[in-house]
Amino acid sequence: MSSITLKNIHKAYGKEIIIPDLNFTIEDGSFTVLVGPSGCGKSTTLRMIAGLEKPTSGEIFIDDENVVDVDPGKRGIAMVFQNYALYPTMSVKDNIEFGLKNKKVPKEEREQLIKDVSEVVGLTPYLSRKPSELSGGQRQRVALARAMVKKPKVFLMDEPLSNLDAKLRQQMRVELIELHKRLGTTFIYVTHDQVEAMSMGDNIILMDKGIIMQRSSPKEMYHNPQNAYTAQFIGTPPMNIVDDMVPEIKVGFRPEKTSLIDPGESLLNISGRVITKEQLGAEMNYSIETAYGKVMVKTEDDIEGEACRLYVKEEHVFAFAKDGKRIEVTAEIKNAIRNLEKGA
Amino acid sequence: MSKGNASKAKTGWWTHDRKDAFKGYILIFPAILLLTIFTVYPIFYLIDSSLRDGSLLSKKRNFIGLENFITLFKSVDFHTTLKNTIIYSIGLVIILMVLATLFAVWVNGKAQKHLNSVTLAAVFTPHIISLVSVSTVFLWIMDPQIGAINYVLRSIGMKPFPFLASSKTALASLVGMMVWKSLGYYSLLILAALQGVPKEIYEAAEIDDTPKIRTFFRITLPMISPTLFFTTIVATISSFQVFETVNLMTQGGPVNSTNTLVYQIYSDAFKYLKLGPATAEAVVLLGLVGILTILYFVFLGKKVHYQ
Repeated sequence: MSSITLKNIHKAYGKEIIIPDLNFTIEDGSFTVLVGPSGCGKSTTLRMIAGLEKPTSGEIFIDDENVVDVDPGKRGIAMVFQNYALYPTMSVKDNIEFGLKNKKVPKEEREQLIKDVSEVVGLTPYLSRKPSELSGGQRQRVALARAMVKKPKVFLMDEPLSNLDAKLRQQMRVELIELHKRLGTTFIYVTHDQVEAMSMGDNIILMDKGIIMQRSSPKEMYHNPQNAYTAQFIGTPPMNIVDDMVPEIKVGFRPEKTSLIDPGESLLNISGRVITKEQLGAEMNYSIETAYGKVMVKTEDDIEGEACRLYVKEEHVFAFAKDGKRIEVTAEIKNAIRNLEKGA
Repeated sequence: MSKGNASKAKTGWWTHDRKDAFKGYILIFPAILLLTIFTVYPIFYLIDSSLRDGSLLSKKRNFIGLENFITLFKSVDFHTTLKNTIIYSIGLVIILMVLATLFAVWVNGKAQKHLNSVTLAAVFTPHIISLVSVSTVFLWIMDPQIGAINYVLRSIGMKPFPFLASSKTALASLVGMMVWKSLGYYSLLILAALQGVPKEIYEAAEIDDTPKIRTFFRITLPMISPTLFFTTIVATISSFQVFETVNLMTQGGPVNSTNTLVYQIYSDAFKYLKLGPATAEAVVLLGLVGILTILYFVFLGKKVHYQ
């Protein structure tokens, strides 16, 4: 169990700057998810913590030790790779045992550890098999077992579920959360999938172009985005953000917080024209053309015909400055929104 | 096919399956014909010839059973030839495989990418030069009196090396030259295999705190074992057939110390016109290479990890 601190981390490949200046601390025992679009520097950050990449400058602390010059094997970390990176020529057992042998763990202790860990991940019947004889989910478990058996201070996971099919991914997600609860070890998890990030992490770091856009709990991330980027990254479909409603202000509202039937007391009340309607089950995704551009609406309100009205309650309206920063929805903005179609 | 169906199809015997099979035979017929004429028939002709007396010039050659083989195995010269061939092959294959693997691992390393590709090109170049030219050049380089190597040795105050002039060093000199010539080729094959190893596996090993040597023996070698296995067999077969260098540089000498199987086959058949013994030697070569290949499969094959 360990905390991790990144101080003034700068990473560049030649002239291309991946991470300008990154600072954060990950608390001992937390499940932190690094999320962001591809190329945002999340994997690079993880690999620098692992020691597979060196920062161009800056310091990385595991507990109180600066590990920048420490070999990956000596950092007390374990890593699960996207494509598992199992040793293909070794049996499942040898894969799990390999790191222990390197650490010169006595044979009896090794046997016991392997026995324990393979029971936890349900691999006991497959110990003598080669990775090529296992399914994707089983390989993922081997990778987990190989990481767990070393009793690392920190677990690093680089998109570990992205090679699994949807159903298995769901199942492994739950298992990983349980595993974290049981081990109580610090987990750092990299993903590009916001759903995965929201459902797994107790702490999310959202990155874009090597910069932290927001760091908070999943709930906070959704209900209280600090900027337009976060607001649009989290949530499916992303938050509607329109430019022309109020001068110099971007107005945001979530598709799932928008009604097509008047709920009463709505702040935003504008007309629109339905372009498409996707039936998702109970809910529907509407794509609607308004005077302020195209917006998405996700609702159970089932309306027929093209003409419609959109209603958003006051508490669900967000405002952002031109540079994307979240600002307060002032009385002035409220008035402007309330009077949108009255002036016209 | 049942009779009811067949009667409607006019031809009871000529079913679709048979038709497809027939097409297949037609298509492979040219290849089978060529193989039969140029490979299968010569092997049987060779075996038949090894059981007869007479020479290339004889009108009729009589069947004499295994007499050619018995004479061969009683001959001390043939023992020397066999010994030379086996020592040459084992020496060459082991040195070549070890050096080629080490060299490929080195070139595959992260540091000095540009220098590495230049080095690889330099080491590969001898492979594209004809063996005849190489032999001629090395005949001069390794000349005990006027050769380049001994010139250097003498100039730094060391004793000149006899190379091809001594029966003790001639065979080793041939091995050395062939290592120089073939190293690049085998390195290139092994390098290709090394580059096929996913880098995440090495990263996983790094995180598992694996010492470099252990990574090499437990991860790198098993991962490239199919290629190593293949190159070892190819190198063995080609080294057993060594001929050009012997013919051009030593003619089997001094004192039979570099006489190898194929060179002896050539001498017996075309210098002394003794077709019976020559073909018997060829049969021995065929058997030796065959047995060795089987042995490789039995003993090394188990260690090869196919994915």
